[in-house]
Amino acid sequence: MLVVIPAWNEAANLHGVVGELRGARPDDDLLVVDDGSTDGTAELARRLDCRLVELPFHLGYGAAVQAGVKYGLRRGYPVAVTFDGDGQHDPADVEPLVEAVRQGADVALGSRFLSPGAYHGGLFRRAGRRLFSLLLRALTGLRLTDPTSGLKALGPRGQTLFALARFPDRFPDADALVLARRARLALAERPARMRQSHNRHSMHGGGRAVAYTFNMFLSLLVAAAGRESDLRG
Amino acid sequence: MPIRQKIFFLTIAVVLLLVILELVRRRRLRVEYSWLWLASALTIVLMILRYDLLIWITGLVGAVIPTSTLFFFSILYLALLSLNYSVRLSDLTRQVKELAQEVALLRAESSSSWEAPAARPPDPPRASAK
Repeated sequence: MLVVIPAWNEAANLHGVVGELRGARPDDDLLVVDDGSTDGTAELARRLDCRLVELPFHLGYGAAVQAGVKYGLRRGYPVAVTFDGDGQHDPADVEPLVEAVRQGADVALGSRFLSPGAYHGGLFRRAGRRLFSLLLRALTGLRLTDPTSGLKALGPRGQTLFALARFPDRFPDADALVLARRARLALAERPARMRQSHNRHSMHGGGRAVAYTFNMFLSLLVAAAGRESDLRG
Repeated sequence: MPIRQKIFFLTIAVVLLLVILELVRRRRLRVEYSWLWLASALTIVLMILRYDLLIWITGLVGAVIPTSTLFFFSILYLALLSLNYSVRLSDLTRQVKELAQEVALLRAESSSSWEAPAARPPDPPRASAK
């Protein structure tokens, strides 16, 4: 199977991430998607002997993940796992997700709220996640505890959905799950530990949180009310 | 409308028309985008020649003076134009994203040591550029 590692200026963290993954999962193919880094992330990925998709300029997290998923789809991987390049995910949590896909899930999510005593983020993050959980439940009837999780395992149908031209390509979170539900994909959730990200540009941090919440809210409504044709090629 | 004003604004409108036509002729402006600008320029000409038309529209929408009608519709027009550009930009953004991903994927395919290099046919002899 394929592990997609989106990385934007992660030269400081990539070594550790790849090392951990290799240690825990020696049989997986590791694909680093370099999202227009300027700190030699691509060079490092090459030196670490990873597969590499090098975007010509910075496209953003969602588009980087999507590029990796397209790579997996074209090579016919039965499972593609998305695993953030900043070291916040734990390779030990990958196997339950893969197992969920083998048992029929099209998209399996790692949730930090199903694992006890883990990092839950600050007050605002928790409130935001709760809000989106509730919204997601209202829109789809799904009870997912951690829709913003970046740790996912995708079966072939999940990969096809993530590769759609009109797939939400900023930060595919709750909106992606609404789309998955509309496309009648089977979703599953498994516990996952999330470590405090050592990322300088954590994507939900600081003043961008408000803009993020607003964008996600709009994107959710678009995903819920979008045209049927968005679910096809 | 005094004749001096008429001549002044007509000159501007005609120059605008010529600039648009020249841009299209030089392929700087795509033909499918040019009709909008041609229509704008022709509307200006029409408004200059038929000021009574503007007064008629002013009565129709219930405005008091023709200048407010003119400004209202100009601003509305510009707002719709920017909306149109936002739509075009959204399309272009998606297309650029798809292209960038495609370039990256193709480059990964062609330079990858993971694919059997023997499967690649040898480069054909280079034809001299004519």
